[in-house]
Amino acid sequence: MAQARLGRSEQINGWLFVMPALVLLGMFMIYPILWSLWMSFQTGRGMNFSFGGIANIVRLTQDPVFQRALTNTFIFLIVQVPIMLVLALLFAAALNDSKLWGRSFFRTAIFLPCVTSLVAYSILFKSMFANDGVINDFLLAVGLIATPIPWLADPFWAKVVVILAITWRWTGYNMIFYLAAMQNIDRSIYEAARIDGVPAWARFWHLTVPMLKPVILFTSVISTIGTLQLFDEVNTITAGGPSDSTLTLSLYIYNLTFKFMPSFGYASTVSYVIVVLVGILSFIQFVVARDRR
Amino acid sequence: MSGLRLRGVTKSFGSVKVIKGVDLDVADKEFVVFVGPSGCGKSTLLRMIAGLESVTAGELHIGDKLMNDVDPSRRGIAMVFQSYALYPHMTVRENMGFALRFAGVAKPEIQRQVQEAARILELEPLLDRLPRALSGGQRQRVAIGRAIVRHPEVFLFDEPLSNLDAELRVHMRIELARLHKELKTTIIYVTHDQVEAMTLADKIVVLRDGIIEQVGTPLQLYDDPDNLFVAGFIGSPKMNFLKGVIVEGGVRLPGHGDVVVPAREVAAAGTPVTVGLRPEHFAQGGPAMIGVRVELVEHLGGETYAYARHGQSELMTLATNNARDLAAGDTYEARFDPAELLVFGADGKRLR
Repeated sequence: MAQARLGRSEQINGWLFVMPALVLLGMFMIYPILWSLWMSFQTGRGMNFSFGGIANIVRLTQDPVFQRALTNTFIFLIVQVPIMLVLALLFAAALNDSKLWGRSFFRTAIFLPCVTSLVAYSILFKSMFANDGVINDFLLAVGLIATPIPWLADPFWAKVVVILAITWRWTGYNMIFYLAAMQNIDRSIYEAARIDGVPAWARFWHLTVPMLKPVILFTSVISTIGTLQLFDEVNTITAGGPSDSTLTLSLYIYNLTFKFMPSFGYASTVSYVIVVLVGILSFIQFVVARDRR
Repeated sequence: MSGLRLRGVTKSFGSVKVIKGVDLDVADKEFVVFVGPSGCGKSTLLRMIAGLESVTAGELHIGDKLMNDVDPSRRGIAMVFQSYALYPHMTVRENMGFALRFAGVAKPEIQRQVQEAARILELEPLLDRLPRALSGGQRQRVAIGRAIVRHPEVFLFDEPLSNLDAELRVHMRIELARLHKELKTTIIYVTHDQVEAMTLADKIVVLRDGIIEQVGTPLQLYDDPDNLFVAGFIGSPKMNFLKGVIVEGGVRLPGHGDVVVPAREVAAAGTPVTVGLRPEHFAQGGPAMIGVRVELVEHLGGETYAYARHGQSELMTLATNNARDLAAGDTYEARFDPAELLVFGADGKRLR
């Protein structure tokens, strides 16, 4: 009897201790998530909305702008993530060599972009890729092109600029994960391979890459999520243009909510498209990377 | 044809000289053990032979080729590391066959080699396991297997047993000795454990501070050490060192009741020396005697060691020929044969 009472008071104490955190989590995490799920079934403009069932999902299938944004997002994902991760891995492998001169300088230099101010770097990119910007001047000077490339005015080149920008910004970030993981690999494994006559490319491909597999999985999931949510660069450098050629899902959500006549319900539906995509793609990546033994 | 010849080999890291001029000959099919305290340069010397560290100066020959600047993979060597250095994502089979894939060996031949190595090392049932599913001793055998499949002319072992527990270490020691007989190749083996050195080696190289203190067979080093360091390092329990003075016809031991032990006059009378006597020299008895008081007795069953001193002298370790009734506080006549006595000069060098 006494023990049961003691048990109950411990229970109450326990709940009291975790309550503040739970309340905050509930208010700022769970409630918005559930509310947005509810909102995704509402139709209407501004604060006038009513339950529309799957009307928003039907609207998705008929919305050319959404399909544009979805396609763009996937192009960014498929082109940029592999390029960035391969670059990060190569940089990490190169900078992990203790004999490399100035490697802490290079490490810092490559990592620095992801901690620089977003606005500053966006303005810089905009000016560099302007019609009379440094990049065009340089390419003209070395004779690679005869006329300036319309970087920000052409749908194709605008995508290239966005991909260059996010690659520049996030490669160093991923490189740090690879470097950290590489430094945990027993050095004598490489020494054994050297004595065994395993060539350098094979040491990288057959030893380093497999041993980094968990980290590669982690970075690819994180980068996939990041790219699906891509907003900053397209908003500040290209503003989704020209003619929606760099419009992403996140930017579209923002436009639906804050730029156009607010359509909260539909914006929520598009948000849940991202959620579902993140879920599916992460699952696929885990399955692909699963240990088969 | 795969002995080694080292001439004036040195190694510096920056301004720090860790190998200070090593001359050494290793005969074909010889089992050579580098032994010494940590920091003596034994692992560095091994890694220089492997090609993992460059040779600062001097000449390194393997077989009859100068190997100073030859790539590790072309030296005809294979190395087993203390940490085993297995490839964690590959099975035992893949671990052992990996190097052969890059040596242009055909797949069926790789299979055959791996099977052969697995048979020698009794690894057949484990071939499809990953290293993480193996015990320490099994991992060690895989590491050896990975070396065997390459048919090297020289095997290098870098403290291969130091991550194993005591029982397994004894077992693997016997395995290694058997392996050396079966493979008939040159083996260079690094350890800080003098028991491993004594039991495995055809030839022991005692290193200290980057120089060779002495080279010889285990029993040569045990019976006839060149200096105090080797005398103290080889043998367990350690040799006793007593302060002495040369007198006419022998050595006087002022700390041990001024006993005069008959000995050959190896230096002028009055020269201060250090006298070395192994604990086991006291087990046989003999005409010379030091009276001591026992402070501690260790019963090992087969032998009983007494830790004793004469008055305020240094503590001596004595084998007692299994005097089981000996107890702390007893007085004891430590008898020995003066012919066993080793005399060392003030500089630590043996006086013969």
